[in-house]
Amino acid sequence: VAEIRRARIDVVLAQAGQETLDRLVLPGHGARPLRTAPDELLCVVPAGSGTDVVRELEDRIAALEPDGLVLDVTDGWAGWTLVGPGAERALAAVSPLAAPDVDAFVQGDVARVGAKVLGEPDGALTILVPSSVEDHVVERLLADARATEVRP
Amino acid sequence: VASIEVDGRRIAVQDGDTVASAAFRGGIRTFTRSIKSHRRRGLYCLSGDCANCLVTVDGHPNTRACTTRAHDGMRVRRETGWPNTEHDVLAITDRLHWAMPVGFYYKVFVRPRWAWERAERIIRRATGVGSLPTRARAEPAAARFERCDVLVIGGGVAGLAAAAMAAAGEGSPRVILADEGAIGASAPAGSRRDAIQALTREARAAGVELLEHHTAIGLYAGPSVPLVGPDGLVEVDAGRAIVATGAVEAHGVFPGNDLPGVWLGRGAARLAGSHGVAPGARAVVLDRTGEGVAEVLRGAGVDVIEFEGTVRAANGRSQVTGVTVETAEGRRSFACDALVLSLGHSPRDALLRMAADDPAIGAGDVVAPGCSLEEAIESGRAAGRGETPPAHDPDPWPALGAGGYVCPCEDVGVHELEAAWAEGWRSSEIIKRYTTATMGPCQGALCSRHLARFAEGMGAPTAAAGRTTARPPVRAPILADLVGTVHESIQLRTALHVRHVDAGARIDRSGSWMRPGTYGDVAEEIRAVRERVSIMDVSTLARFLIAGRDARRLLDEVFPIDVAGVAPGRARYVIALDEAGYVMDDGLLAALLDERYLLTSTSGGAERMEAWLRDRIDRRGLHVHLVNRTAQLGAINVAGPHARDLLARLADDDLSRDAIPYPGHAEITVAGVPCIAIAAGFVGELAFELHHPRSRSVELWDALLDAGTAWDLRPHGLDALDVLRLEKGHIYLGQDTLPDDHPAKLGLGWAVDMTKPAFVGRTSLIRMATLPLERRLVPLRFDASPQRGAPLTFDGAIVGRVTSCTDSTAVGAPIGLGWVRGTDGRFPSTLTTDGATATVSATPFYDPEGGRLRG
Repeated sequence: VAEIRRARIDVVLAQAGQETLDRLVLPGHGARPLRTAPDELLCVVPAGSGTDVVRELEDRIAALEPDGLVLDVTDGWAGWTLVGPGAERALAAVSPLAAPDVDAFVQGDVARVGAKVLGEPDGALTILVPSSVEDHVVERLLADARATEVRP
Repeated sequence: VASIEVDGRRIAVQDGDTVASAAFRGGIRTFTRSIKSHRRRGLYCLSGDCANCLVTVDGHPNTRACTTRAHDGMRVRRETGWPNTEHDVLAITDRLHWAMPVGFYYKVFVRPRWAWERAERIIRRATGVGSLPTRARAEPAAARFERCDVLVIGGGVAGLAAAAMAAAGEGSPRVILADEGAIGASAPAGSRRDAIQALTREARAAGVELLEHHTAIGLYAGPSVPLVGPDGLVEVDAGRAIVATGAVEAHGVFPGNDLPGVWLGRGAARLAGSHGVAPGARAVVLDRTGEGVAEVLRGAGVDVIEFEGTVRAANGRSQVTGVTVETAEGRRSFACDALVLSLGHSPRDALLRMAADDPAIGAGDVVAPGCSLEEAIESGRAAGRGETPPAHDPDPWPALGAGGYVCPCEDVGVHELEAAWAEGWRSSEIIKRYTTATMGPCQGALCSRHLARFAEGMGAPTAAAGRTTARPPVRAPILADLVGTVHESIQLRTALHVRHVDAGARIDRSGSWMRPGTYGDVAEEIRAVRERVSIMDVSTLARFLIAGRDARRLLDEVFPIDVAGVAPGRARYVIALDEAGYVMDDGLLAALLDERYLLTSTSGGAERMEAWLRDRIDRRGLHVHLVNRTAQLGAINVAGPHARDLLARLADDDLSRDAIPYPGHAEITVAGVPCIAIAAGFVGELAFELHHPRSRSVELWDALLDAGTAWDLRPHGLDALDVLRLEKGHIYLGQDTLPDDHPAKLGLGWAVDMTKPAFVGRTSLIRMATLPLERRLVPLRFDASPQRGAPLTFDGAIVGRVTSCTDSTAVGAPIGLGWVRGTDGRFPSTLTTDGATATVSATPFYDPEGGRLRG
């Protein structure tokens, strides 16, 4: 059985040169850094702390590179967390992605949508998808993963 | 007593029976009629490789009787022949070979063209091959993904050995083995079955997951393998794949080789040994593989005649009644009712042949046909360790005889191959296409090697004499299985979706987006835009932020406009061209502060535009930040003569023409929501696109609706938009365009600055400019409403088609857009379509000076 819950998160995007991001001191606020490309970093942070993280990242990147880009992109992403022993199996029902370890993440196809999957403690998984396809992904999780009893 | 019904006749079934074994025991010898000549075809391989036993089972057409378990109450219907399979009037075609030469489809009914369309239907009905259960309610099969380190396809000794070895490797790899039947069920009793049982235990102990009754139907890049199983489709992504699908016995080619009563050795042995049914009373057996089929037949009470030599012909009309053979003692004839042949091994290597560029390796018979039990096990263990096992060609391999069918599925005989060669076709791939050999349901399992050997024997160069390409599916799945994985009818929804539904809008699918078509009264929605004020949810527009020190350079290189001339606060219409100069997309480029740009482009084109720009950035090594903001931003278009008045009620910012010129933009706050307001004119009235954070869309929409009551504001949907944009002569990319449209064909030459030294597509445009236009998109005014898509005719000839049309109140006539073909750059100005006269007009139809959209 897996339970699906909306994740209360903000998302901050930083784009800068690879070397800049390699050297970047990551912000606090419980930020979860996802290096989605050599020149791109997504920071998943608890809801409400996005603005502070944007400010911190802007300062830190500006110190390393004058024309880096930092944006609060919370509105573009929707996060859903699968909790419970059936989480991994529920993911497997809609995605070829392997469930990541705690604190790791993978990106790829979830219900035919480009997504990021974050490993959480106790085997939970947070799935990050574009807001415009949020309904589709949740419907697919509930429908395709019915064998594993995904419950809202 | 359990029974099945075959063509209305009840036949008893025994434990372990397949539909084929039960029907054969019940006296049925002809299972199908061949596709062209309507020759009788009986059981042959009993391994699911040939197409001789395709029947309709419980409404499912083209089911292989030899691999389908018989269940009490099953209804079986033979599919081919008219009026029935036993008595087929169409068998007369077997005497009409002269009328159906090789390459028939390329020679007959070519002219007049209409004849082929009619003949095609008749031919389709004559071939049989089952009918789709069109009235059945189909549900997509369930689908699931599995990942593993190693996937082994095939549960024979080589496959099991490979799986057991792989699973015993370091790191406890996950190993899945899939077999299309029950593991070991088809193996003859004896050392091979004992080995399979021992290896199955070993594999289980090593942790191998065995998926029985799961058929691999293709091998794709990854490697990724779809398995069709009893519970639906399983898509397996594997670290590596091992193919151990074994071999089918070689198909002998000689006159009469397709008669019922001619058997592959293992097929006859399986019928006799596993089902206890004798394939005949007297069998002539040629066993070159030493598999001992004669002993199995004798055990079933068959009178067996063995010989060494060559089969010259199988004799008989409706089934084998005798054979003529060539032995060391000379030519001899035997009376018999079964001819059983073990002539060699033909690897089931279709999966390997479609995985040429992937890390799939073969093990056992599939790469070393005819290998011994010990060799197969060692081959499998080597593959399990990640090594490439030794491989060799089939040996022995039967030579083609003086006649007979090379490809029984498609009724292609030796003479057809010879005729194709005589007509000048000189490679196996081309002969395949010309004769259709290998293109039947068995996918060349029986004949592809014969075809290659034929081409080689006739002197084709090595490169032209190879095996033909294999493509999925290697085993025919049912449609429900194929759509099992296709559940990506992805619906993109804007943040206002619920608001539209609550307002009673008809929601349409526009690409992947779900959008309001109308809120109930299209005419009133149009009036609101033209006379008062209206709003539309345009959050579906693709939007990109482009920043970084090379941002302008990127845009200058890709777009055919002077980007430097777009000052901060201004916007410019842009079209995106590919290298060939064809229009890919269009949109609006707004220059922000600090060398940043906001680019909007068509709904549904976001991913393509992003990929196109990223490719350019990467190839040129530019320092550009590209952020696809489509999902982050909502957008509402406020349009109509009172658009500025409405915004003034909700914003304290300067909204004057100087502050937000057309086309231009400004950052304003509307009802407390921060927006980038872009003055844009797609509907031909004063209009402001309010791009804002998606999470604030509902709040902004509600505020606009509330404040708009002063002007009887109504939102408008896609239906109204279609009329409004046509009145301005604006095109919909995709609906009004074709993939090879360059700007001049669309009347968009004005959007291209050819004085620029470089931009994507420029070279192609220069080259094309030297040629006369062969067609162009023109605005049309009609005297009666045509159907969209209706042909446009001139002097009785079709010269184009209507791509868009609508009844326009503002214009007072039906209007539209359409393609027109020209001659030497000249185009007709008056055409006919769908009973109406179409006149090429000037555009825009509405407000040609554009005064209204400037407010």
